[in-house]
Amino acid sequence: MASNSSTQSREQRKKSRFDWTPYLLILPSLIYLAVFFAWPMVRGLNLAVREDGAALALQTEPSRNSATAGQLPRGTEVNILDQQGNTIPPEELQQGNITTETWFQIRSQDSNGQPIEGWVSEQRIRVREADENGVPLAGTVRSVISSTADPQTSVFTEPNENSEVLGKLEARTPVEILSQTVLEVWYLIRAESGNGTVEGWAQSRYIRVFEDPSQGRIDQGNVSQFTTRFIERMLSDRFFMPAFGMTVLLTVLIIPAQFVLAIIMALVIQAELKGTGFFLYVFSIALGVSDLAVGILWYSIFTQLGYLNSILLSLGLIDQPLTYLSADTRYWIVIAIWLAELWRATSIVMVIVVAGMQAISREVLEAAEVFGANLWQRIRYIILPLLRPSLQVALILRTILALQVFAVVIALGGGEVVTVLANETYRQYDALRNPNMAAAYASFILLLSMITSIFYLRAIRSQEEVAE
Amino acid sequence: MTTIAETQKPAVQASAEVQAIHRRMLRRQRVRRALTYLLGIILSLWVIIPIWFIASMALTTPAVVRSFPKGVLPFIPLSTETMEFFLSSRGILPGIVNSVIVAVITLVLSTLIAAPAGYALSRFIFRGRDMFRLAILAVRAFPIVVLSIPLAVVFLRAGVYDNVYSLALMHTALALPTTILVLGSVFASIPYELEEAAMVFGCSRAQAFRHVVLPLVLPGIAASAIFTFVLSWNEVFAASILTVQNRTLPAQVLVNLNTSSEPYQFAGGFFMMIPALIFIFFIRRYLFNMWGQISK
Repeated sequence: MASNSSTQSREQRKKSRFDWTPYLLILPSLIYLAVFFAWPMVRGLNLAVREDGAALALQTEPSRNSATAGQLPRGTEVNILDQQGNTIPPEELQQGNITTETWFQIRSQDSNGQPIEGWVSEQRIRVREADENGVPLAGTVRSVISSTADPQTSVFTEPNENSEVLGKLEARTPVEILSQTVLEVWYLIRAESGNGTVEGWAQSRYIRVFEDPSQGRIDQGNVSQFTTRFIERMLSDRFFMPAFGMTVLLTVLIIPAQFVLAIIMALVIQAELKGTGFFLYVFSIALGVSDLAVGILWYSIFTQLGYLNSILLSLGLIDQPLTYLSADTRYWIVIAIWLAELWRATSIVMVIVVAGMQAISREVLEAAEVFGANLWQRIRYIILPLLRPSLQVALILRTILALQVFAVVIALGGGEVVTVLANETYRQYDALRNPNMAAAYASFILLLSMITSIFYLRAIRSQEEVAE
Repeated sequence: MTTIAETQKPAVQASAEVQAIHRRMLRRQRVRRALTYLLGIILSLWVIIPIWFIASMALTTPAVVRSFPKGVLPFIPLSTETMEFFLSSRGILPGIVNSVIVAVITLVLSTLIAAPAGYALSRFIFRGRDMFRLAILAVRAFPIVVLSIPLAVVFLRAGVYDNVYSLALMHTALALPTTILVLGSVFASIPYELEEAAMVFGCSRAQAFRHVVLPLVLPGIAASAIFTFVLSWNEVFAASILTVQNRTLPAQVLVNLNTSSEPYQFAGGFFMMIPALIFIFFIRRYLFNMWGQISK
């Protein structure tokens, strides 16, 4: 602390001049954490309660720059009053060629039943004759207005711009649409051109697929809206309660056992025998081992042809290998996950506890020993109370990590029979391709972490108040 | 005369008694030491035996891996076949390369950004210092899971999804709070007087830092950097979310876990542990500095 006091005296000497140096030094880390931590965190919470494109903003004029007349939710049926061709500015289209865009004047009722009118771009509403699969039946070639681009629309042999060009179509040529690619990027069309019938692929943005419509439906919104849909869906998800229950169960099973084991390890190290360095290395190995590797490691023990069965068989305790990690023996999966987490994450608690113990003065312990306190009394009345700040930090850290246990569960339980919240987050994002639901799960984990942290902080503080 | 005899007699008796107590205490101490050793050895076995198991599986032939009951080295043939099989599996070598790239970028970025902040924390008392420390601790405590999903969506829109560099940016955000606190404690362990003396002899603050502080803190910075490397090398959740084609090693192993054979799994598990076994050995002296500081 000598450095601290000298810093203070230096600070007093320089009090007249404000020192910007520390602020400059912490600035990069603040910026980094704001960009890659705070902002994504806010976005993540947003993702869970906001739906992109849930509503469409109506414009007062057929232009994107005009004022907003109101909003209609996705899926609303609308009457079309008028249509008007409009040129998209190239910077908005971000494509080389400029095609025309049609704007519709629509009328409908908003959520309060009030009539509402406004202009929307054709991209946002679906107005066309389509077959049962949603493939439009007919259309016309759009006019392309650009000084540099080809005014004619090319028809290709394959849905690919590098394939052979079969022919070119003039603007306003009527075409028959036979099929489409995924995402409607290309249409297979048939049309009469100057040189006879052409059948091939054309890009959908050059084909207009509606003629004088009077009815339409809002297909795609451009405004995000607050929604509890994702949270409700998460709460009613059939994996939610099992995942939540298992996460809590594992946390409750792991943490106390881990702390007992870590304190024993710390006492062994604090005894300062010969070979403490060896114990220290061995006890902290797991600090650097990934949870996935630990999961696999314990899988090698608990799998049917694994080490546990090998040992039991060679001791003559069983006649044939038992099955542990199956849907019928879920408690064995829980035991395996418990042991694996105990093996892996005890080391970090141990390191924090040892660091805390080193701060306890040796005299206090020796005095207690002289006055006849036995080992248990010394732990109960001296070591544990003095370790409280370290234990508090370790407890918060470990609980938060236990709430997001993931790879160990996948490795030992396959992620189906026994599931946890982090695994559901992963499943929603990866297999079900639903980032909003994944964000809802992630936010739920965040909420649990915060609640437990606050609970620990309060519980430990109130104990201190009682002691005073 | 009698008084002398009386005073001498108890003294002699007492010394015998003291010797007896002394002997008893010595014996008790020896028993206690033996018990502590026993406890230490049992706990060490609890850590070592599973590693021994997985090492035995990884360093033998695939045929032995599939056999039952399973043996352990040195009672089963030592072979590199299982490891070779794993390393030649699809996606593993690129995965290792990706993991190393991500970990090295994370290490460099987080050290460069965290070192000034750590220095500021250890050397300056400024308004907002405690707030900054608290914010860092809070960030340290936030779950990784919550960060991955929104970053994936953002990276997807920005066109930098499935990219080792964007994953490294994310890992840096994860490692930064720990690195700042650890480097803060590394700087704090160098007395400020050394720097002050250098400045008295005419060095500027920057010169004093370069010629006096830097050589002393380099080992600590190296230890922290190694720890960051291991952290990034091990990270599996964010890596699985943020990469699809360019997977890192843990993400690759995780994706194939349910469909792969036991030799692949065991070799993969052991291979991922190797850096931990080596690096923890080198930085074990610094561990308490690192984590001890965090609990303060």
